[in-house]
Amino acid sequence: MSVQLSQSTLGARERVRVFAEYDHTFEEQAEVVVVGSGPSGAVAAYELASAGHDVILLEEGPPFTVRDLELDGNLSMTRTMREGGLRMTRGTTMPTMQAIALGGGSLVNSAICVRPPDSVFDRWATGFDLERTSRAELDPHFDAISEFLGIAATPDAVQGRRNLLFKEGCEALGVSSEPIERNVRGCRGSGECFTGCRSRAKQSMDVSYVPAAVRAGARVLTSVQVQQVRRSGRRVTGVSGQVVAPFSHGRRDGLGHRFRIDAKAVVLAAGCTATPILLQHSEDLANASGQVGRNLQFHPGVAIAGVFPEAVDPQFGATQGYQSLAFLEEGFKLETLWAPPPLLSIRFPGLGEDLQARFAELPRMAVWDAIASTNRSLGRVRKRFRSLDPKLEWRLHPDDAPILRRALHVIAQIFFAAGARHVLPGVHGLPDLLKSVEEAAVLDSPAVKPGDLVMGGNHVFCTTRMHGDPTQGVVDEDGRCHDLENLYIADTGIFPQCPSVNPMLTGMALARRQAHVLSERL
Amino acid sequence: MTGVIVVVLVAALAFAAQRRTFAAYPPAPAGLAVLHRGEAAFIEGVAEVLFPPVAGLAIPGLDAQLPHYVDRHLAALPRAQRVQIRLLFAAVEHVTLVLPGEEPGGRRRFSRLSAASRIAVLQRLAHHRNGLIRLLVTALRSVLVLGYLGHPANLHQLGLSPFEIESVVSEAEWLFPRVGALKVSIPYGPEDRSDPASARGARPPLEPNGARHRAYDRAGRVSR
Repeated sequence: MSVQLSQSTLGARERVRVFAEYDHTFEEQAEVVVVGSGPSGAVAAYELASAGHDVILLEEGPPFTVRDLELDGNLSMTRTMREGGLRMTRGTTMPTMQAIALGGGSLVNSAICVRPPDSVFDRWATGFDLERTSRAELDPHFDAISEFLGIAATPDAVQGRRNLLFKEGCEALGVSSEPIERNVRGCRGSGECFTGCRSRAKQSMDVSYVPAAVRAGARVLTSVQVQQVRRSGRRVTGVSGQVVAPFSHGRRDGLGHRFRIDAKAVVLAAGCTATPILLQHSEDLANASGQVGRNLQFHPGVAIAGVFPEAVDPQFGATQGYQSLAFLEEGFKLETLWAPPPLLSIRFPGLGEDLQARFAELPRMAVWDAIASTNRSLGRVRKRFRSLDPKLEWRLHPDDAPILRRALHVIAQIFFAAGARHVLPGVHGLPDLLKSVEEAAVLDSPAVKPGDLVMGGNHVFCTTRMHGDPTQGVVDEDGRCHDLENLYIADTGIFPQCPSVNPMLTGMALARRQAHVLSERL
Repeated sequence: MTGVIVVVLVAALAFAAQRRTFAAYPPAPAGLAVLHRGEAAFIEGVAEVLFPPVAGLAIPGLDAQLPHYVDRHLAALPRAQRVQIRLLFAAVEHVTLVLPGEEPGGRRRFSRLSAASRIAVLQRLAHHRNGLIRLLVTALRSVLVLGYLGHPANLHQLGLSPFEIESVVSEAEWLFPRVGALKVSIPYGPEDRSDPASARGARPPLEPNGARHRAYDRAGRVSR
């Protein structure tokens, strides 16, 4: 273990600030302040710092070292997720999460990196007056990020049985499938992406883009909660807020230190549900269109557990190693899935010995899920009284429910094609177990009502959507707010519609493009 | 005189109601920070019937230290979510005053019912026609499943405990201190890097039946 540190190392550390170091109220200046260190914010900060700009990256959560990662999935969520991981939508009730940590959601997601197909961008272009947001336009950004993060297909050596069974099931049915591309280097198959990668194989932002931004000269301030974007006329002048203790859920814990950052430009990358709240708390900033907080979309997800006759050893293998894009045009994408077993098991049917019988099946179990493009199902983000936590109103449109029913049916078919003995559909009103393809047909019947489905709100979009028409959207194609000269938004809120695939890579590519444009304008 | 009788009657009824609903709980297990003894007794009462002793799992619900797990969970939650979960406990504990158990004297709080009556009540609520009442059981079950199945002994028995993984040092470990610590406490420098992205970080995949985290070999709860 070394104790002699080079000047560059010491210099890099000097540019990082953590909670224990705040001992007074402070003010700082920068060319650009980036709010939020998730994938989009981290990329923006790195690109701007690399271009020679003076950048401050702000993050409300703390950095997590390997020793800070909690193995218990539930307790991990209380530390890494806002609202302790218990955030729910209203209307159609569904859990949804937002991370609070250096690196944002990348610390606790499964590292899936997928480029949306041309058809998604074609819909965005025609429906939202966008001229330069095509797959071809973004491909150079996708390529650069892929190289930086080592994005590659999950190798067979770390797939594990539960992922390969999905492949076998798809092959038996003639459905295309492929290993998932992930921002991972040297995955060992521990299956614990959702509680943070102890192997440090996952290239989450806290081990990749954020350190690179620091090396490039960016200052990183953690445990700071931005409460207001400051404005003067058609320009913003910076942000202000307060220091918050780690795991305090936004409470000041008696410190009361406030801060103000003055900057020539502000990039909001606080996340699709936090950015609109911040704008609403900043005297309804950037909302001449009335679209801030509106158009809320998710990729609602449904999942089925399948039980095989033989051991699956599900604890081993990439958390999400295989996928099928064969049904994108029907509105859903299929994936394999693993999570800490207690979290997976809360959906198991039964009470008492019936429930425990399901637990005992876990070593022979795999779980596969679908994320759906439900573009008719819209909602809204509103601020709460004296809180920066959002009120999320969202309702599954009746015409979108068949997409989820069909997805469930397809997953069950793949399970039986792979040799599953039975599946646990997790749908209210259906039998606890379905034991054949014939029985599984009930999943795609109108007997399954929207309220019977158990969904999770996986990805969040569109609350500050990008639109060529300033009356219809919050930001333009460069991510700049239509109403303001120097306020940019770089998170999945700017997506005009859901991207049909996991959004992290698209968000990063858009942020990279924005950063280059902003760099030229500074 | 009538007034005195009315006052005495009301007082007696209030005392009886208080005894029936709130009092006479056993002492709380030692070491609880958030839960009061009534909540601890309620959790034990649910755990006993939700997770009876069965083959295939190492320990039953009563041995899984669930009040302590729930206590730790609640302590880590924001106040709003903590209040919601405690209200959930109170609702199910007292729902049997409105929807009584089927045994004689079933109009008692949940934790004072017999085990057979408790599981019957949960079954009835879990299949209730009112979705909100069903949701009570779903939420309660979720809170306790997380603690029960997450118990190291049960995960170990099922072969689902986390893998033993050698500690590595990435750029994050030499740039950031542990949560809450000062940067001067960082024990690493760039030369210590051993993560897979570094020159000497390559390690083979784990084995499906490979070594598991040492803390999960023990019967008690752990926190790293």
